[in-house]
Amino acid sequence: MDTRRRTPQWSRLLVVVALLAVACTSGGTTETTGEDGEAPTTTGGEGEAPATTEGGDEGGEGSGDVFVHAADDEATTVDPAQVEPGEGGETIITQVYERLIEVGPDGPDLVPGLATEVPTIDNGLISEDGLTYTFPIREGVVFHDGTELTAEDVKYSWDRAMTMDLPEGNAGLLADIVAETNVVDDLTFEVTLSEPSASFLNAVVTASVASIVSQDAVEANGGVVAGEVNEFLTANPVGTGAYELTAWNRGENFQLGVFEDYWGTPANIDVRIDIAPDTDTRILGLRAGEYDMMEIDPSLVPDLEGAEGVEIYSGEFLLEPIHIGFNTRFEEGSLPPEDTIGPDFFQDPLIRRAFNLTFDYEGFIAGALGGMGGTVPHYFPQGMLGYSEDYPVYEQDLAAAQALFEEAGVWDEGFTVSVIAEEGNLFEVAALVLRDSMAALNPAFEIRVLAQAEAQFDEAHASDPVPYAMWVKNSDPFADPDALMNAYIHPDGEWGTVHGMREMYQDPDAIAGLIDEAGTELDTDARLALYEELAPMLYDDPMWIIAGNETALNAHRDTVTGFVMNPLWPRPSVKFAFYDK
Amino acid sequence: MAEVAQHPPVVTTPVSGPLAVRLRRLGEIVRQVLRNPVTVIGLVIIVLMFTMALLAPVITTPNEPNPYQMPRDWSALNEPPGTPGHPLGTTAHGGDVLYGIIWGSRTSLRLSLIVVGVTVTIGTIVGSLAGYLGGKVDEFLMRVVDIFLAIPELIFALAIAAMLGPSFTNIILALAVVYWVKYARIIRGQIMHIKQNDYVDSARVIGDSKFHIYAKDVLPNSFTPVMVQATMDMGSIVLVGATLSFIGLAEAGLAEWGVLVSEGQVGISTGRWWASTFPGLMIFLWALAFNLVGDGLRDVLDPRTESR
Amino acid sequence: MQIRDYLIRRLMVLPILLIGVSIIVFTLTRIGGSPIGIYLSHEMTPEEVEQLEERYGLNEPLPVQYLAWAGGVLSGDLGWSGVAVAPVTAVFGDKLTATMELATAAGIVAVTLGITLGTFAGSRRDRLPDHLTRVFSVSGSSMPDFWFAILLLIVFWVYLGWFPIGRSDPAIWASIAHPTGLYTVDSLMAGSWQALRDAIWHLILPAMTLGLATTAIITRMMRSSLVEELNEDYVDAARAKGLPERLVLKRHARRNALIPTVTVIGLSFGFLLQGTVVVEILYQWPGMGRWLADAVLRGDQATIMAYVLFTSVLFLTVNLAVDIIYAYLDRRVVLGS
Repeated sequence: MDTRRRTPQWSRLLVVVALLAVACTSGGTTETTGEDGEAPTTTGGEGEAPATTEGGDEGGEGSGDVFVHAADDEATTVDPAQVEPGEGGETIITQVYERLIEVGPDGPDLVPGLATEVPTIDNGLISEDGLTYTFPIREGVVFHDGTELTAEDVKYSWDRAMTMDLPEGNAGLLADIVAETNVVDDLTFEVTLSEPSASFLNAVVTASVASIVSQDAVEANGGVVAGEVNEFLTANPVGTGAYELTAWNRGENFQLGVFEDYWGTPANIDVRIDIAPDTDTRILGLRAGEYDMMEIDPSLVPDLEGAEGVEIYSGEFLLEPIHIGFNTRFEEGSLPPEDTIGPDFFQDPLIRRAFNLTFDYEGFIAGALGGMGGTVPHYFPQGMLGYSEDYPVYEQDLAAAQALFEEAGVWDEGFTVSVIAEEGNLFEVAALVLRDSMAALNPAFEIRVLAQAEAQFDEAHASDPVPYAMWVKNSDPFADPDALMNAYIHPDGEWGTVHGMREMYQDPDAIAGLIDEAGTELDTDARLALYEELAPMLYDDPMWIIAGNETALNAHRDTVTGFVMNPLWPRPSVKFAFYDK
Repeated sequence: MAEVAQHPPVVTTPVSGPLAVRLRRLGEIVRQVLRNPVTVIGLVIIVLMFTMALLAPVITTPNEPNPYQMPRDWSALNEPPGTPGHPLGTTAHGGDVLYGIIWGSRTSLRLSLIVVGVTVTIGTIVGSLAGYLGGKVDEFLMRVVDIFLAIPELIFALAIAAMLGPSFTNIILALAVVYWVKYARIIRGQIMHIKQNDYVDSARVIGDSKFHIYAKDVLPNSFTPVMVQATMDMGSIVLVGATLSFIGLAEAGLAEWGVLVSEGQVGISTGRWWASTFPGLMIFLWALAFNLVGDGLRDVLDPRTESR
Repeated sequence: MQIRDYLIRRLMVLPILLIGVSIIVFTLTRIGGSPIGIYLSHEMTPEEVEQLEERYGLNEPLPVQYLAWAGGVLSGDLGWSGVAVAPVTAVFGDKLTATMELATAAGIVAVTLGITLGTFAGSRRDRLPDHLTRVFSVSGSSMPDFWFAILLLIVFWVYLGWFPIGRSDPAIWASIAHPTGLYTVDSLMAGSWQALRDAIWHLILPAMTLGLATTAIITRMMRSSLVEELNEDYVDAARAKGLPERLVLKRHARRNALIPTVTVIGLSFGFLLQGTVVVEILYQWPGMGRWLADAVLRGDQATIMAYVLFTSVLFLTVNLAVDIIYAYLDRRVVLGS
């Protein structure tokens, strides 16, 4: 794919020049003095002088006793009731809070968290009608503030999120399905659903918003006010996790300390999460050994592959395919003036199919994703329940695309469409690939790529109707296909209403019916059969171009031990409690 | 020759005067400028850059429908220099670096010419109005100028471009909004200076119209400092424009040097140096060339003016 | 007398300028649309968006919003920084001291180096050192600083590992108190050599990058004003008296040549300030410049407004100070000679 040289000639030359120039300065390797600020730091063993690691001195970076992760984004909040899915705060919430049920380190299997058992119909913890779930609460769990966990805390945490119902938060996830929460006794929590849900455990109980907070801590610091942010919890998490947040220097770093009274296997090493928005800085930092770990995307692999001391982990696909949306619900004349299409343009399934046949999937996956990714069917990401490799997948077929465009009657006069994407990332590249693919098929097809600042993109993306006919982003990582279907595919779902999918689908009711039926079907096999029926319909009548799906990737120093990651965990899909170095 | 004698001697100021005199004077300036070898180096670089920019559609196959977009070959990523078809290698998106360099010079030329052209025009109009009309108008315009000068250039341009959204057109717009102020100041200063000089008074006595004096004496005299400033700005505008693109304010895939450096910067750490080295060098050379020539011009025309 | 009048006039104009700048800044940011975007994500329903608009008073007419903002600024409330994820004022101090420390270090480098090189070149006019210095200064001001930074990073950080990036080693930073927020000063006050070394080590590369262009400007100015001074009659007189060339240079010419240089130093302050944007991005310096760059890319209007407003206040103040100093120095020269 590309020629990769270890240490290029020119760099050696530079090094020599620089050596000559500043021959005398090098000395002064300060030994990393074990500045023991907080007394009971870290597990032993690792204490010995890290001066031997990584040849260079990094100015005495306390790298021996702290695990340093480089993050690209600052958090807005670390309050589970306030955090937006996918936002930087989730990284911290994952480490310092726990949920009743957790997604285990391998695949989508659920493991007990603060509940001692995963409810099933077989073990009697889910009622026969699928409406009541019982969670036996773990005994002897303490919060970071020293109080003990009871079923009261669990009820309080869930009710709190639903009462606050912050627009930026994810409370709707709970509120949409939970009818009632009950404390049966100190160690038993019960929840009643408003309707049977196949995805309740996978998608709701394991979500950040369902994290358990200390009731005492919240009550002592402002309590719960509907519609209002709790300033204390925003910055001071009080959970039961293996880590507690010891410092948050805004714009610089988070510091996570090992929680000594953790109920389970304690964490091994303190963690510092450095906030380094500049990609180059993170890459160079990892190469230099200043960071132990960073989240990467496929485009960065060539910059790290083969670097001394750096290991790249690549696993399953992520659950968030990059997709390009077709919008038909905009007012005539509200698009950018260059655009030549009307709302009916993408209502034509021929055109949507033709777009799907024109996109250069190989180029996108080879180029933007560096080969670390693949195509997925409409619309089941690999790794998710319901996925099957037998489902039809779009491939580039220019002749077929041309035939469809001709049949739709737009081949000769062509068209101009603007597509918006967040500036400076893979989405922008996907838009460029679309542009290049279209121009190559027919120079009369012009795709204008409008890259926008994140805030501008978010504003356009959150408005209804969206003032653009196309946009690129990745889907949210859902743990269960039902949530995904309702967000992206269902004609009356979240994007279904925004894009006007009811007018786009040839048979919207059939599709809605299948999705609704599968969503309440508790028998997995029956559910899969319904999705099998759905898949070819989604292929024939595509609502999106699924540009590709990334491989889950992580880059870390080869000194890191105990590495596991799971794409189902919130970004960056790691749990530091497993790691050591 | 004869014309010189007819003119009142007071009016023979450095650059104004009848055509023949002016031309001769210009020839003298050119000769003086060319005497400095360093300036000549700068001029040569400029000529080469301009030639490259103008001949871009001839020496490369333009990428249709928009040749200012890099042609991307998604199956030839990160190819090193010397690869057949890509003498200077390709970027991480399969963009041909050579194409980027060549069309980047066109982008830079477009940027600097438009911005300098627009700002000199606006600056001349505003400066002339202020200087000539004086009084309240002058007071008001100069306050506006002061307000614009109160915000450091790059910061101001950055804020404007950011608010307009990432696109190269917006970078051009932002720089135009920021750069006109200097020229307004220069022109006004010159007019104030000349107004006080007695040769304009004598012209007035002779009965020339206001506009006539302006066109004949004031403008030509302002020409020198404006010219030096404009030459310097041809370089610095490309530098600042590339900085804005580097920060991320140009559209993706544009054949522009700052965009290329930004795209290539990560690759540097693994030895993929070409995607940012060549364009970075181009920015440097472009700015260097205009600085050298501007310096040379200033030495000849206006030895006491300081640079900012 | 004259200076005092001048000063009073300048001071009186200052508020007008500030109001003007604030209006420009406000209008400018609103060209980009409502600042609501920074609070939004696509999961939100239009009702939730409205709720947020109400929370932040963004459904009012623009002049009302301007007054609310300006009122906030006067009462010390600069709004919410979506990038820093905190009120602007809460993070402002730390970022400002970080940037000031960097800019000061770069300024010291630039002034020292610039005056030295300028003197060196100016006193050897048209000889080899003069030509070399000229090449240096022209190259320096033509160098894209982001490019220069990348080169330094590769050599000194990645390959040699001599200098770290960021502003400090967190462990050492945490080991001393920070009464001023300036790392170098704090470490001196704490008497910690380790911290001082750490502070300086982190400063070297960014200060070099940031100072390059300014060094070039000062060098050029110093050289040309020295050349001019050396042509003055009083220098000839001093020489005629038999004063050694070294003393002529040191006592007379150089001192006078410094006066115009002062103006340039003052003006280059704005230059340093704007240079911090790129330098802080690349060296991961937790200052105002990086903050602004993030804000620009994310469309965080409150931060952009606060930054631009503050920068211009600073810039205006420094320019005023420079003018006063210059006027003072100039008068003394006139009186002295």
